[in-house]
Amino acid sequence: MASQTRLHATLRVAAKELRETLRDRQTALTTLVLPICMYPVLFWVMVQGFLVLQGQKERTEVRVGVINQESVAEDLLRALDRGQDEHEDYQANRLVLVDLGAQEDVPRAELLERQGKDSSPADPTLAGVLSFAPQGAQLHVNRSEPKGELTEGRITNRLARHVELLREQAAQDRGYAPTALEPLRLERKDVGPESDKGALILAMLLPMLLVTICVMGAFFPAVDLSAGERERGTAETTLLLPIPRLWVLQGKVLAVASLAMIATSFNLVALGISAEGLLATLLQGSSITINLPWQALLAIAPLTLLFALFAGATLTAISGLARNFKEAQAMLGPVQLLFIMPAIAGIMPGIDLTPGLALVPVLNMTLAAKSMLLGKVLPLEYTLVAVSLLISGWLALNLAVRLLSREAFATSSATIPLRKLVSFLRSDGDASR
Amino acid sequence: MTEATQSQALEPQATDPKGPAIEANALTKIFSDPKRGDIAAVQDLDLACNYGEVMGLLGPNGAGKTTTLRMLSTILAPTRGTATVAGADVTNDPITVRERVGFLSGTTGLYPRLTAKEVLQYFGRLHGMDEDTLGQRLEVVIKAFDLDEFLSGRCESLSTGQRQRVSIARAVIHDPRVLILDEPTTGLDLLAASDMIRFVESRREEGRCVLFSTHVLSEAERLCDRIAIVHAGRVLAVGTTQELREETNEEWLEDVFRAFVARANQTLTDEADNL
Repeated sequence: MASQTRLHATLRVAAKELRETLRDRQTALTTLVLPICMYPVLFWVMVQGFLVLQGQKERTEVRVGVINQESVAEDLLRALDRGQDEHEDYQANRLVLVDLGAQEDVPRAELLERQGKDSSPADPTLAGVLSFAPQGAQLHVNRSEPKGELTEGRITNRLARHVELLREQAAQDRGYAPTALEPLRLERKDVGPESDKGALILAMLLPMLLVTICVMGAFFPAVDLSAGERERGTAETTLLLPIPRLWVLQGKVLAVASLAMIATSFNLVALGISAEGLLATLLQGSSITINLPWQALLAIAPLTLLFALFAGATLTAISGLARNFKEAQAMLGPVQLLFIMPAIAGIMPGIDLTPGLALVPVLNMTLAAKSMLLGKVLPLEYTLVAVSLLISGWLALNLAVRLLSREAFATSSATIPLRKLVSFLRSDGDASR
Repeated sequence: MTEATQSQALEPQATDPKGPAIEANALTKIFSDPKRGDIAAVQDLDLACNYGEVMGLLGPNGAGKTTTLRMLSTILAPTRGTATVAGADVTNDPITVRERVGFLSGTTGLYPRLTAKEVLQYFGRLHGMDEDTLGQRLEVVIKAFDLDEFLSGRCESLSTGQRQRVSIARAVIHDPRVLILDEPTTGLDLLAASDMIRFVESRREEGRCVLFSTHVLSEAERLCDRIAIVHAGRVLAVGTTQELREETNEEWLEDVFRAFVARANQTLTDEADNL
């Protein structure tokens, strides 16, 4: 017979736990199947929804009452009616002008309201009132109505374009350059590389997703390997293994961390592929390019592994207090929030990785990932993040070992009360047994 | 435990005719209960069991049988007292004890999502067996417990009897010197219970020590070389069935048991009166 090393035994336990956990339908579903199926479906639905909404918006016809229409030039009315662009689809973004005559003394809001009350299917409500006077035009819309903002947008754009064309025409008629009548033309140019803009978008999204997905990936395995084992009545069997309990628990935490990493990788890859389609639709017309920053991702991977160990050990420790699967799930709900809240805080603008923040678990992971995605080289801060995660993981592992190696874990069906937990943590535990 | 000693402990295990296989002195286990305070499940228990012997712990529910067996198999740590099993101390060297003992109880469940073979391989490998030795031991236990039919089936899909057979195979995959069984026939049908009894007898013939708990008197009478009567966490008497009968002047084991319990209750009452 061969001798056993700590590493061999720990890896054997981890391999067994991985095999067993992946045979659990719920875990396999949430870890492997869901990311593969969910994101493409979810994003397809989002793209379709976006397109439908966009189409609906374009197809929406708005009616605008015009006061003193006879005083307005024909070409301005035409510009308002159907826009100036030759290629503009006449059926899209329709704006119908309704001649209201003079009506000088009637308040405009009242006109809008009156039209709303009197409206019938044959004569729909006015979405705005545009009144012309010698000193200029006034537009009245109700912005609390969906059509109000739509109307304002269409009229403002069309009038601005019409005014611009009139100015160019006037300049050309006098033999000047088309822009001569413009006192100052401001041309805005963004000199930032489009790929950097993509990186900024990724730096806002990816760190939070990384932490959230990693914690969610560790959730079911942690519950399954602690409270689940207790519920299935196999905790006593595990305590009979002829190796120190510390090794057994290290194997369990390693399995949880591995599953969290697998879930994170699967989720991010599926998310990346699916998001490509979504972003291509959302950023249509923009030159922003989003390329996966492989170098940054490779640099983030070791930190993610440390974070997965920390999250895995913490969740395993806490679910070890529960007597069954259901109770552990209820216990871990608020704990998940404790992970997700700092992750959200980390992506807020203005919060950057400093040596001090590099020591705060969870927040440091988000900030480090954000900095790496933005291409910042911060060797001191990254080292501190790694050390902080390592220490936090070690503490969480010790907590898990103490909780799961206690006698009551295998022999009692009760939840551990908080009062007993404190006294238990003060004692040495049974990890060496 | 060092790797060297672990390797040594995994050498093919020969029975040791010198010294007892199990020896407990003043073994005590006290549980703290938030409502009821400290409860002594086992108190000052003395016990000795030799190789080639089958010893039964006989007692009603709550007598402390399971707690005693759990302490001897290192699942629980004793509050006081000492115990050595197969030459190793349960408090100071629990890992060696687990290497040399096979423990089985109604609550030592099998991993439901592993197959029977995977469970046996897992325990065998963690007992430090190399692949050749493990293969040979697998062949032996598969044949001995007739596991062939359901070896590749997940444990969750096995019947109670099949699960019990896999559990025993799991307990003996490393060929332990000492076997500790907690009510091994509970929940088994007649045929399976009879197989279990035959198995215990075969272990005795091989010179192993078997300690098992039961509250089935006929089973204890048929199997045990000696019986320890346990009540309220204490051993009331130890001896062969004949010796116990002679001590109480009772013919039936049930009456023997009642007589010892009545005697113990009387002693407790007298002690309380004196206080």
